[in-house]
Amino acid sequence: MIFDHDVIVVGAGLAGMRAALEAARSGADVAVVSKVHPVRSHSNAAQGGINAALGEGDSWESHAYDTIKGSDYLADQDAVEVMCEEAPNDIIEFEHMGVIFYRNADGRLGTRAFGGASQARTYFVGDITGQALLITLYDQILKAGVKVYEEWFGTTLFLENGTCRGLVALELLTGELHLLRAKAVIDAAGGGGRLYEPSTNALICTGDGYSLAYRAGAPLMDMEMVQYHPTTLAGSGFLMTEAARGEGAYLLDGNGERFLKQYAPTKMELAARDVISRAETKEIAAGHGVNGNVLLDLRHLGRDVILKKLPQIHEMALDYLGIDMIEKPVPVRPGMHYMMGGVKTDVNGATSVPGLYAAGEVANVSVHGGNRLGANSLLDTIVFGRRSGKAAAAYVKSVTPSQGGDDLLRSEQARLQALLARPYQGETYAHLRLDLATMMDQKVGVYRDEAGLLSALEQLAEFRKRYELVAVGDKGRVYNQALQFVLELGFLLDCGEAVIRGALLRKESRGAQARTDYPERDDAQWLKHILLTYRAGAEPDVSYLPVTITRWKPEVRSY
Amino acid sequence: MKFTIEIGRYNPEGKYAESASGEQGFPAPWDKSPPRRYQTYAVDLPDHAVVLDALIAIREYQDESLAVRCACRSAICGSCAMWVNGHANLACKSKLREFTKDGKTRVEAPPSMPVVRDLVWGMEPFWQKHHAVTPWLEPKQPVPGPREEYRAPNAAMENLIQEVSCINCGCCLMDCESFAVNQEFLGPHALAKAYRYAGDPRDADVHERLGEYSKPGGIWDCTHCYECVQQCPKGVAPLEQILKLRKMAVDAGFTNNAGTRHADAFAESVRDSGRLNELTLMPKSTGFFNIVGQLKTLPSAFNMMRAGKLPPIIHHKIPGVQRIKTIFQRVGGRFK
Amino acid sequence: MKVAFYPGCVSKGACPELYVSTQAIAGPLGLQLEELTEAPCTGAGVLSEQNPDLADSLNGLTLAMAESKNADVMTICSTCQGVLSNHNYHLQNDEKRRDKVNATIGDQGYRYSGKAKVKHLLWMLFEDIGLEKIRGAIKRKLTGLKIAPFYGCYILRPEEYLGLRERPERKTYLEQLIALVGAEPVEYRGSTKCCGFPMLTFNREKSLEMGGSHILEAKEKGADMLVTPCPLCHLNLDGQQPDAAKVMRKDIGVPIFHLPQLLGLAFGFSPQELRLNHHVVPTASALEKVELKV
Repeated sequence: MIFDHDVIVVGAGLAGMRAALEAARSGADVAVVSKVHPVRSHSNAAQGGINAALGEGDSWESHAYDTIKGSDYLADQDAVEVMCEEAPNDIIEFEHMGVIFYRNADGRLGTRAFGGASQARTYFVGDITGQALLITLYDQILKAGVKVYEEWFGTTLFLENGTCRGLVALELLTGELHLLRAKAVIDAAGGGGRLYEPSTNALICTGDGYSLAYRAGAPLMDMEMVQYHPTTLAGSGFLMTEAARGEGAYLLDGNGERFLKQYAPTKMELAARDVISRAETKEIAAGHGVNGNVLLDLRHLGRDVILKKLPQIHEMALDYLGIDMIEKPVPVRPGMHYMMGGVKTDVNGATSVPGLYAAGEVANVSVHGGNRLGANSLLDTIVFGRRSGKAAAAYVKSVTPSQGGDDLLRSEQARLQALLARPYQGETYAHLRLDLATMMDQKVGVYRDEAGLLSALEQLAEFRKRYELVAVGDKGRVYNQALQFVLELGFLLDCGEAVIRGALLRKESRGAQARTDYPERDDAQWLKHILLTYRAGAEPDVSYLPVTITRWKPEVRSY
Repeated sequence: MKFTIEIGRYNPEGKYAESASGEQGFPAPWDKSPPRRYQTYAVDLPDHAVVLDALIAIREYQDESLAVRCACRSAICGSCAMWVNGHANLACKSKLREFTKDGKTRVEAPPSMPVVRDLVWGMEPFWQKHHAVTPWLEPKQPVPGPREEYRAPNAAMENLIQEVSCINCGCCLMDCESFAVNQEFLGPHALAKAYRYAGDPRDADVHERLGEYSKPGGIWDCTHCYECVQQCPKGVAPLEQILKLRKMAVDAGFTNNAGTRHADAFAESVRDSGRLNELTLMPKSTGFFNIVGQLKTLPSAFNMMRAGKLPPIIHHKIPGVQRIKTIFQRVGGRFK
Repeated sequence: MKVAFYPGCVSKGACPELYVSTQAIAGPLGLQLEELTEAPCTGAGVLSEQNPDLADSLNGLTLAMAESKNADVMTICSTCQGVLSNHNYHLQNDEKRRDKVNATIGDQGYRYSGKAKVKHLLWMLFEDIGLEKIRGAIKRKLTGLKIAPFYGCYILRPEEYLGLRERPERKTYLEQLIALVGAEPVEYRGSTKCCGFPMLTFNREKSLEMGGSHILEAKEKGADMLVTPCPLCHLNLDGQQPDAAKVMRKDIGVPIFHLPQLLGLAFGFSPQELRLNHHVVPTASALEKVELKV
């Protein structure tokens, strides 16, 4: 079937729902499409907090500087200015919606310290900030009466004459393929953690949004910038929030030393994430770790602080490792966490494809450049979610609806039928995904080099060949997850290729990109963005964009 | 370590549709699901593995046709709620070695809910109830300016964090006894959410909310059995939120219901005699003008009388009852 | 063994058979029942919800009385057990709450210092009296009877207040006891669920349907009778059973025994001595299985 709307938002995380809310308020007929129920979106796993220069004596300029420095000067400063200037209003708006932010003694919003910040400006709800924001936003879209196509899985974007006109989606409940036709589409289906193993990300973070936009012709920018979070739980890879370090936790090596003295003597545990992840990787490789991990020590924070401000991670360590952080330090190690890279947009979420917008983790405005500061992602989603929702709603006013799409619907149906009909030839999605993710962690992880990256690219080509043989192990119509996983694996392959190519092209170390063969930052040659544009049947087209500098000249970055 | 896991399979089309499993017998009110068959699998996982690890391993390497909702693996997304050994649990929080009983762990979609396929259950009843309690803030006027937050003490925010921890998994509802017999009942999750906004100092409609929640299907249709408190994997304790709502509702004047009359009659009896007067408790709770209600209780009163179980007409006070009266004088509140 | 016996309100009101049978089995079990005659009703959770301070003081008084007798409180009602455990947990762990209570009851001759323990007869059987003594007292094995246990919510939840985290075996005592007296325990989902009593006055039909459905489930699984350690459950399951049958439009007719009555039969007491002839649902059908007449 075909359904028509003004604006379709793909993905119902914080960015997607914020965009939908704004579009609805601007008078557009908007619908959200999500492959899971909105509250299951991975935004709920964000723990520590959300940044804004709201406090007395703080300034958005200071926040912007911290963000730009944190990005290792790859962020576009005009975009950062927009985000940091508008942040205070956005936080307050969420407070007015009912988010139960932490308060000071005077009943006003209170902050905690976070990584890379020159002063405490992170607003929070216990250690469940993402959860609190997401559920409040969901309540708001219920209030606004926004339509949600729940458990509909997007397979491809619909383009007509180079303009984005909608999305083909599989209704998981019935196995039927539908066309959701629109005058504008906002891609908010970010997150690609399943590309790496281990990762803090949920099983649903399979790079859908990146691949959908990429195949529609929107360039992916700086995909090599993949953030490894320094404190993920040993074994499972679950996130142990930066807020723990914000509250004062230490990182110790096997000898009980705070090893960051040598790497970030001023900020120590609150340095930027890439700095700490590299430090940990070095120490572990040098044999100073504990079974391949370092230790997160919270004992000195005391029972009250841990149970009141960090209850979720306390329970996680207890549940999954049997360790009570009140008594003992917790083994942690760097784990893949976030993609700074993504679909190139302007400050209003517009991509280079007319009718296609992007916001949230999937987008690269760029505000995070080479490394994202903690608590800036939640901010990014709501600021640019709002802006793209507003922009899309304005855009559609002058757009005539499409009448087409039947061809695409038919061809997608045929494609999926063919996929389902494939006989088993020895390849399964699970094996292939694990091979892909392990390879990425080994060769395209915290430290990279030319040889490793070239071999990664070769392997990726091999994986693509194997992908053509993967059979779908379930032939049913109702809730066919195997089909979904095989399609998701396709998205991951696109993401993987973009990350590897970006890492190969960028012959320098900057932010999260650490090349042992090019260990220095090279502003002269590489103060620019790398864009990859999809070419069917050929290598992607490479282009560059200069970094927009407004007032902060790149400096040596030290913590 | 080797684990055996038994999974309740159901597919509305294809292989399993025809195979009706097991006894039909008396359909318990909570069993709304179609018949299912159980399929056994063996997995080899680390000692501390959880049920979800087994399900993913099965789905990835043994049987790709197994449908199960899951995402975060760490008890924050709420996707993987199901019956594990007959009780509601998150699959990602249920350690196999703790749940293995007689050599295996059994998982299935909760029988009290409609089933989509295998372990994927229909959440329409859950969301329908959630949407019914006006689950959003109606901001108190005047709303502060665009750079100004409402002032509120941190204690008021912390008071709500228990409910905000709710991940909407459905464990409480799938084992709620009241909901099983009474589909009108809003259910523990919805009422906990109702408290989250009724208890928010920034909400403008608290009085209206309390009135709504006092209606049939609301706070007084909870049977106070703590099942939701027991089953909730996030410590939300929905019953505690319902009890807070009850107190708020009575304090706000919504007293024309059996719940309030019951509490009043109970307190009066304990104050005056130190113990419960069962004879008068029933008629007083029902309400003297509720003729139909009173008539309904007559048959059981008659049965009790015939069996010699009717309490003595003259209700004895406990020795030292003065102490009790003093306590009521001092802290009895509206029961003084 | 001396216990501070807390019979609760219902065993002295609508369920005198519970009181009588408890008295009867005290002898063979070696229990010296020192009744807390001046202790008030616990409030059954109803008062706790509407006025926590009041319920704290009432139950604090009971606990202080037991403390002064230097004996554990023994309850014979799951609801009394649940409410007393709940308040005791808070009064033991929260000094401020305890101080508040003592300020209220202090001049009435009692102060509570947090040392009292509250245990249901069911727990005491296994934890204090001991299996040997029970086995020694059994004179009549109830072989041939299929008995479904019905715990009653408040002796099972919340686990924290009832010491069930430390002693999870408390969740199986009824089944163990049924086996001990020679009968066959029936396994069914409803054994740990709610009988509906708290809702009886709020929503009569649904309350009865709740209790009725559990009995019917047990009946389907072959139970001849139910046994329960809670007289409030007994009121809904036995007292209201004919009405439940009407609401559900099904025949039920399953007798409900109190825990001490079951033990009393096993110890050789006659059905009449245990007031088994004073139930709303006749107990004859179960008694027949062990060749007894009411």
